[in-house]
Order: sequence, then structure tokens, then C-alpha cells
Amino acid sequence: MKKRIASCLLAALGLVLPGMLAAKPAATADWAAVSREARGQTVYFNAWGGSEAINAYIAWAAAEARKRYGLRVEHVKTGDTADVVRRIQLEMSRKHDGSVDLLWVNGENFKTLKDGGLLFGPWAEQLPSWRHVDLQKPVRVDFSEPTAGLEAPWGTAQLTFIADRQRVSAPPRSAAEWLAFARANPGRLSYPRPPDFHGTTFLKQLLLELTPDAAILARPVNEAAFARATAPLWAYLDQLHPLQWQQGRAFPPSAAEMHRMLADGELRLSLTFNPNEAANLIAAGQLPASSYSFGFRKGTIGNVHFLAIPGNARASAGARVFANFLLSPEAQARKADIAVWGDPSVLTAAALAGHAKAATAAPGALREAVPTLPEPHASWVGALEREWLKRYGTR
Amino acid sequence: MLELHNAALRLGDAPLFSDLSFAVAAGEVLTLMGPSGCGKSSLLAWLLGALPPAFSATGELWLGGQRVDGLPIEARQIGILFQDDLLFPHLSVLQNLLLAMPPGPAAQRRERAGQLLAEVGLAGLAERDPATLSGGQRARAGLLRALLAEPRALLLDEPFSKLDMALRGPYRQFVFAQLAARGIPAVLVTHDPGDVPPGGRVLQLADYQESAHV
Amino acid sequence: MGQCRQCLPGALAIAGMAVVFLPVLPGLLPLAQGLELAVWRGLLADAQTLVALRVTVISSVVSTLLALLLALLLTMALYPGPRWPALQRRLPALLAMPHAAFAIGAFFLLAPSGWLARWLAPLAGWDVPPDWQTVRDPYGLSLGLLLAVKEAIFLLWMLAAVLQEGALQRQMTLARSLGYGRWQVWWLCLLPQVLPRLGWPLLAVLAYGVSVVDVALILGPGSPPSLAVLAWRWLADPELALQARGAAASWLLLLVFLLLCGCGLLLWRLLRAAWRQPHGRRWAGASWQPRWLAWPLLGFCYLLALALLLWSLAGPWFFPAALPQSWTLAGWQQLDTAPLFTSLGLGLASAGIGLALVLLWLECGPPALSRWLYLPLILPALPLAAGQYHALLMAGLAGSGFGVVWSHLLWVVPYMLLTLYKPYLEFDTRMITLARSLGLSHWQRCWRIKWPLLLRPILAALAIGFAVSIAQYLPTLFAGGGRFATVTTEAVALSSGGNRRVLAVQAMLQLVLPMLMFALATLLGQWAGRHRQGWR
Repeated sequence: MKKRIASCLLAALGLVLPGMLAAKPAATADWAAVSREARGQTVYFNAWGGSEAINAYIAWAAAEARKRYGLRVEHVKTGDTADVVRRIQLEMSRKHDGSVDLLWVNGENFKTLKDGGLLFGPWAEQLPSWRHVDLQKPVRVDFSEPTAGLEAPWGTAQLTFIADRQRVSAPPRSAAEWLAFARANPGRLSYPRPPDFHGTTFLKQLLLELTPDAAILARPVNEAAFARATAPLWAYLDQLHPLQWQQGRAFPPSAAEMHRMLADGELRLSLTFNPNEAANLIAAGQLPASSYSFGFRKGTIGNVHFLAIPGNARASAGARVFANFLLSPEAQARKADIAVWGDPSVLTAAALAGHAKAATAAPGALREAVPTLPEPHASWVGALEREWLKRYGTR
Repeated sequence: MLELHNAALRLGDAPLFSDLSFAVAAGEVLTLMGPSGCGKSSLLAWLLGALPPAFSATGELWLGGQRVDGLPIEARQIGILFQDDLLFPHLSVLQNLLLAMPPGPAAQRRERAGQLLAEVGLAGLAERDPATLSGGQRARAGLLRALLAEPRALLLDEPFSKLDMALRGPYRQFVFAQLAARGIPAVLVTHDPGDVPPGGRVLQLADYQESAHV
Repeated sequence: MGQCRQCLPGALAIAGMAVVFLPVLPGLLPLAQGLELAVWRGLLADAQTLVALRVTVISSVVSTLLALLLALLLTMALYPGPRWPALQRRLPALLAMPHAAFAIGAFFLLAPSGWLARWLAPLAGWDVPPDWQTVRDPYGLSLGLLLAVKEAIFLLWMLAAVLQEGALQRQMTLARSLGYGRWQVWWLCLLPQVLPRLGWPLLAVLAYGVSVVDVALILGPGSPPSLAVLAWRWLADPELALQARGAAASWLLLLVFLLLCGCGLLLWRLLRAAWRQPHGRRWAGASWQPRWLAWPLLGFCYLLALALLLWSLAGPWFFPAALPQSWTLAGWQQLDTAPLFTSLGLGLASAGIGLALVLLWLECGPPALSRWLYLPLILPALPLAAGQYHALLMAGLAGSGFGVVWSHLLWVVPYMLLTLYKPYLEFDTRMITLARSLGLSHWQRCWRIKWPLLLRPILAALAIGFAVSIAQYLPTLFAGGGRFATVTTEAVALSSGGNRRVLAVQAMLQLVLPMLMFALATLLGQWAGRHRQGWR
């Protein structure tokens, strides 16, 4: 009986989902028609709500969309995007109309949605704002997975470290130096507990540097490759953890928590995916003014974060209109402004020229040129997290 | 011998009575009577050591030549019987008695408790739940419990008022007989003139109050 | 109760409750996938499971036993006595403090970089926070300890109701006149009578400790978290295999709960046997009465609220500064008021509907079934919330306001019933007889006599229903499909972030909303009774 229910669920997923893609004609209708359809719609925009700066920016964009396009945008503040993905799965398995119209996503969650055929589109490259997008940036792959127009780029990110000049004048600039720094400052380093996004990224950063052949990370993971590629990482962590905060038996729950601990001196270093985060936090009075950003000498991981529309969205037209606005030079320039959010744009410098402010000049922001390293293939994320949890998850 | 010297009781700022003195000899029962609110129950509470905080009292209480008014309830060795028997509902009749008895060898205590139960006509009820006893049986067990704690004086707070008319008379006699046999001085508070033991002294608290004002 | 002989209102009462309670059952069916052997193998093979189980057992046992101990110690020290009613008056405000706000305040106070450590810093010479685990320790001890403090308040409240009976106080006097000091009287005479009455509240405390998610996220360990948090994460995972594992973990939670209940029952049996042999020995010096004992508890709660208030107004405030470097109203000015109004709406709706259901039930429902209505209080909340979510999905109501209010009712109704049951039971039936003799119909009797006379308990029940709704985290998240941001979901979401000011503002709101409602209930009750001294 129980087995039947589970298998029915699976079967339903399998039956409904492929049909979904075919049922929705790709967004070929001209933009004017989309705009007309969007007017009066309500767009439920599911986006991580843990930062007041980001929430305020989304609130601004929602207000603008209402003014300009007669569109209501509701920001559904989520904690973990995986929850949203699961909801979409469930709703579509039961052929429900969606509770999600637009969602902030990348990496593993995108891959899950794409593989499950749970996304609307392709639509991204038909947006009028697409012409401003800087194609030099990795906007068409998401963690080595082709986006296929199923998601539109929204912002870029690069792993960046933060320290306080009052306490740290010479920060570590490689995995080896990080370990040496931990020896010199026992109990004062840590990283967010995977599967936290930032924690996993830190693991990937170390992996890129420590693995003998970084090229295999760009391909889907398999057991043999995983064992070979990650062995040096675990050896490294075995050395690092005893020197960490709480002797590595506990980890901060999030990067945001690490910023707080950095501000109080509980930790010496923190990390972020936003090169402007430190500047933001200084401006908000959450980090001492003597804080600064830095990267690793050989580069740090960078990626793009995206906007996607579920296949069962009720207001897909509205979602596209809103995404188009979020991609406009005006909205992108505002997003990059330190005083607002400070999230680097995905548009070309030329497109932003008229709007951009002196973003990188703010105190605390990343001022050095740090090379961007590509994300490993999305399939490595789950494998890394599982192995990490197995090895260190129960200390 | 229980002696009260110059007792005065106030409820907040209002005096209830003052300059009250009496002595109760061993085995004697002194009856306190008076209208509601004259302070007779409060006096009893003060004698016991459980005066509610709204009241204040002065005076001296002596018991067998020892002054006890400064002592907590548990150190006074003054027993009390309320209207309700207040047998502890989580204990059997026997366990209620054992709780009151002074410590000693377990077998000896049980034997003595059983013997006393039989003496007061409660033989065979030792293991019963108090809730299953009749009113008269419960009242007798309650008195027995009070006596087993070997008090130097006993206070009776309208102990007969909840009993049926038919039970009241025999129970009254039973109580007075037990007190006389053990030589325990007792103070009885009641509304019912019929409760006064034959030849016993009665103190009208309202009169006393009036006379004190004169 | 149950004087109503008409069938229709009785059927209505049953139907009302059925709508709240029964749909959860088919919703539990999808959790059946967690009963498969293979899934259990996967669950037990997961290295996190057993450690998480240890966290759950330690924190729930510590919270239950310590809460009981704290509540009893305080009661023994203060009852009977003038401080007892004073403490009793303070309880509703403390009780109204939602768990999440309490946890956040405790974190602000006790974390290595918290307020207490800042006070100690000059003495200890710390310029950075000590590398200690005063919160989020891997065993879940701090989680258990702080839950115990919060639950002790709940148990004190339940004790206050039990101890209102005059008989207990006279028994205390009588037992003391037998020569026993107050502690020994408590131990020998009052505890054996009071503890059985605390049975259900204790089960509720245990169930809460076993299945709590929001507090565990704030104060519990992370590697791994408690089993409830783990189960919740698995249930929310996109991978079907992990969802099944989450379902299995929910069953495991239930199993653990039942086992712990069994242990508790055993303990009670042993204790009862010990009471059965009175030896007659009087403990010397047992009349010591530490009347100050309430202050540490109350002081901790007040300090915690003060920490929240301070942080909500603080500009930059880094360790080891004991006070903020500067003050700002920014946190309050930039406040997003939407969650506040969502909470208010949900709270009012569920308390209002809850009251109607409860009154209808008390008037016309079959009393024999009442005990079943308390079930949600003594069952782990996680499987129930998941069941509700599945039921709402089947009905196509997930993510609707109706769905969220309905999901809250499962906990709001039992708490309101708990509050009203006793006043209803003790209502002087002669009044009703009198009203009948005056020719009033059943509903006229309720409307004109009974409910006005029971106004204060009814208002208290409304305030409690409101507070319970405000504090709901899991049901709001599940049934609301994440669309309903309340002060509670905001506070918990922000607790993983770093901005203490914004977090403090949300926690303050979470705290203030139910308190306002309690204050309002008290004031209304006093106002209504201003010319009627005998009306209590």
C-alpha cells in the first residue's frame, strides 16, 4: 500500500512533467502582447529574504513595476530555495496552479528544476533587456549546466573574504596560507556548515586549489573521479578543523552569522559571495569601519545567479515583465549601488554607463583584481555535501 | 495547660478584640462563640500559627510552660480539626494515620494504628480509600490522625457542623471523651450551643469585645 | 455542559471540530512511505540520525524534567504565601512571550558575544568573545535548559490553576500541625496530589521539546541539528528519497516521544510507591522558605526582553561594548509592517473562529470526546503540520489564508478549550436552573447569563488563542506555502542572518503582539466588571 502511494507519486511526476513543457508554447508571442497580458497580474516572487538590503531593493522594484506596468509583485521571503523547489515539484505532480511565479535560483536547484522539466520557457533571451547582457560573463551556463533560456541572469557573484584591519593585517591568500593562519590563530577561523550555500562554495574553492586535476570538476561527477579529486580536500580539512572555532565540532549556520562573529572578534575572517558585502555592512553599522575585502591570489569562484519561472506559474507574463525590468540598466545600476544592495551587474559596462555610480570606491569593498574561477559542474555540489556531512556532520 | 495572655487581633487597621486572656486546663474544652466576623476563627488561626497576612496579632501563647507564639506551625505541637476531615486522598486510612504517628519500628506503628482504629470502631477499614468511607467514619479517622501526632493542645474549628444530626451527638461525645482521656486542652469554635460540652466554659467573643470597650 | 438535548447544535459542534481535526488523518497517508523498511535502513545508516536523536532526547528530557523541577521548587517556596499571587499575576505576560522571541532574547543574552559576556568582559579581560559553547552546544543541553525555563512558566500557570483549590491550602496547614515542615508537607502530601494533575501539561512539554523546530534552529546545535529539524529539512528536500527519510524520521520522533512517555510513567510509579510508606520522621529545619526564588526566573525573562529592546535600538555595537556605541530608530523606521498585519489577521481570525468552535463544543459537544481534542498538544507537531500540508494540497487550498488559519486552529482550539474547560465545568449550575425557571431558552441562557458571567475566562481564552496563533512556525510555513510572512517566520528566518537590530525588532513585535492582547483582555474584563464586585 505504502509502496503504491510512493510509486503513484513518481508515476504522476513522470506523466505530467514532460507534458508540461509541450503544453506551454515557448515564449514566441511578441513583447507587446506579453505586456498586455501582464497588466493586473500578481507575481509571487520567491527570493531569499535574509538580507534587509536585498528585501528593500526588491520592495523598490515591486513598487516601480506597479507604477510602470500595473503589475503587483509580492516578495515571498524564503529561507532555503530547496523548499521552493520541493513545493513546485509537489504542486506540479498534482497538476496544481503554481504558488510561485518567479524564483531566484541557481546551481543545483536549477538543475533539479530543469531535469524535472518543471520550468517555463525558454524565455530569457526573448526579453527586450537581453541585448544589454554582457555575454562575456558566464550568463549561459549555471554551474556548468546550460541555461537554455530557461532562466535569466540577474547578478554576478564572486567568493570574497572579509577581515578587520585592526586584527588582521596580512590575510591568507591561498589554501595553504589559510591553514597556516589557522595555526597562528587557533579557534578563530570557521566556515558556514555545508550544505549552506557559502559553506559549500568554500569547500569548492579549496577543492579547486587542492585537487590534482581541476579539469574533471567541469564534468558530471562519478564515484571514481570524486574519490580521486577530493582526497586532498579531506586530508586538508582533517588538519584544519581541529584548529577552527569550537575545534571544528560546530560551524556557524550562515555567512551572515559569520559577519556578526567577525564584527565581535569571535572570528578573524568571514566570507561572502558579494564583493561589495563588506562595504554594505560597514554602511549599515554591522561591521567595524576598519573591515576590508580580499581574494585568493590564484582567484576565487565566481558565478551568476538567475531568475526562473516554474512551468505552472499563474502569472508567467507578469513574471517576464518583472524580470525584464530587473534586467534593465536602471534596475541593474541601482542594484550595484553600495547604498542599495551592491550586487554586481550582469550587463555590459556600456549599457550601465548612463546609470552607474562609483560603486567600487566604497570603503570595505573589494579593491583588488581577483581572477574568477569557474564553478564545478552542479552535480559535484550534492556529492561534496553528502561526503562532508558523512565525515564531519556528526562531530 | 494552654494559656493566652493579653491577645489582640487586628484586621488591617480595624481591631477585632484586644486584651483577651484565658487558660485551658488539661482535658478541658473551652468553647469560643460569637457572631461571624468577630475574629474567633482568626484567633484559632493565630493559635495554630497560620494567621493570614491581612491580620496582625499581639499577645503571648504559652503551652505547658513554654511560650510558643513565635514558633512556626510545625513546631507548636498544636493539632487542628476542620469542618472537613481533610484526610489525604492519595493515602489509605492507615497511611494517613502512619503519617501522623511519630517514627518508630514499622511493625509496631502499624500494630498501634490498627489497634486504635479498632478502638474507635473502624476495624477493617485500614486499607480503604478515605473517599469510600462514610462521613462519620471519616470524621473519626480525622480525629484519630490528629491525636496520633501527640499534640499538646487541639483546636476544633466547627468540626461537627458538617455532620448529620444523627452522627453529631455521638461524635461529639467521642471527641470529648478522647480529649479527656488523653488530658489534652482544647479550644472549640462553634455557632451551635449544642456543641458545648456539659459543664464546659463558654467565651462569647462579641461580649468580650463589648466589655473590652467599656 | 451538555444540557443541550437538541441534535442539531450537537451535530454542528462535532462537525466543527471534525473539520479542524479530521483532514489531518488522510494528510498523514503520504507519511506512510516512511514506514518502509528500506527507508528506515537509509535513515539509520545516515550518520546524522543517531547523533540528532541524542540531541533530541537530551534536550527534551532536560527541558521536561528541569521545567518540572523549576516550577515545583518555585511553587514550594512561594505557596502558600503572599508572593504566590504576585507571581501568578506576572505569569500571563511571560506565558504570552512566544518561544522564538524567547529563544532570540536568550541568544542575545547568553551567546559568547552576548550581553552577559560583555558585562563580564572587563572583569575577565576578554577583548574577543571566549571560544565557548554557551548556546548551540552539540549535545543540545543549552537548548534543553532554555526550553526548561520557558516551559517552567507554562507549568507554573497550570499549577496555579490546581492550587486555587482551598482544600490543598488547608491540607498544608493541617499537615504542618502534625509537625511537618513546609518542604516535607509538599513532598509527602501535596506533590502526590498535584503531580497527576500535571500529567497532561507535562506530556505537552515533552511533545514540544521533541518536535520543536524554531527554537532548535535558534539555540540548538547545527552539526547535526535535532531530529525534528533534520526531519523537517528532509521533508522539504527536493529529493524524493530524502522526503521519505523525513517521513520515517517523523515516525521516529513519535516513537521517541512514546518511549519517553513510558519512562516518565515508570518514574511516576516508582515515586508513588515511595509515598505509600509514611515513616513518620520529621525533617529538622525544613521550614526554610526562599521567597526570593522567583527573582532569578523573572529577572532572566525581563533581562532577555531588555536585551531585545536594546538591540532593536542599537547602532554599531561590537564586543566587548556593554552598551551600543550609538542609538538609532532605523530598525523601527524601516520596518516592513506586512508581516505584522499578517500575524494580526491570522491571530484574530483563528482566535475568533476557535472561540466559536470551543463554546459550541462546551455547550453541545459530547464531553466524552473532549479529551481527544487535546491530542495535538501532546503529539509532536512536525508530523501533524506535514499532514495538514498534504491535506491542503489535496483540497487545493495550500497557500491560502483559509488554509493557514485552519492549520493554526489545530493548536489554537485545544489551548482555548484547556483555558475554558474548567471555568465552564465549575460554573454554578444553579444559575442555569434559575434562568430556566425564568423561561429563558438555551441560547438566551448562554447569551444573557452564562457567557457574560464567564467573560473573563472567555477573554483569557481569546488572548491565549491569539498568542498560540502568533507563535506558530511550522504550520504557517507548511500550510502557507511560504507565502505568509508572519512576525514569527520573519524572526526565525532572520535569526540565521547577522543583523541583530532587524532581528531584535521582529522578536520585539513577536513579543508585543500577544502581550497587548493579554493586556486588552485584562482591561476589558476589569472594565466590564467595574460596577459588579461579586462578578469575578
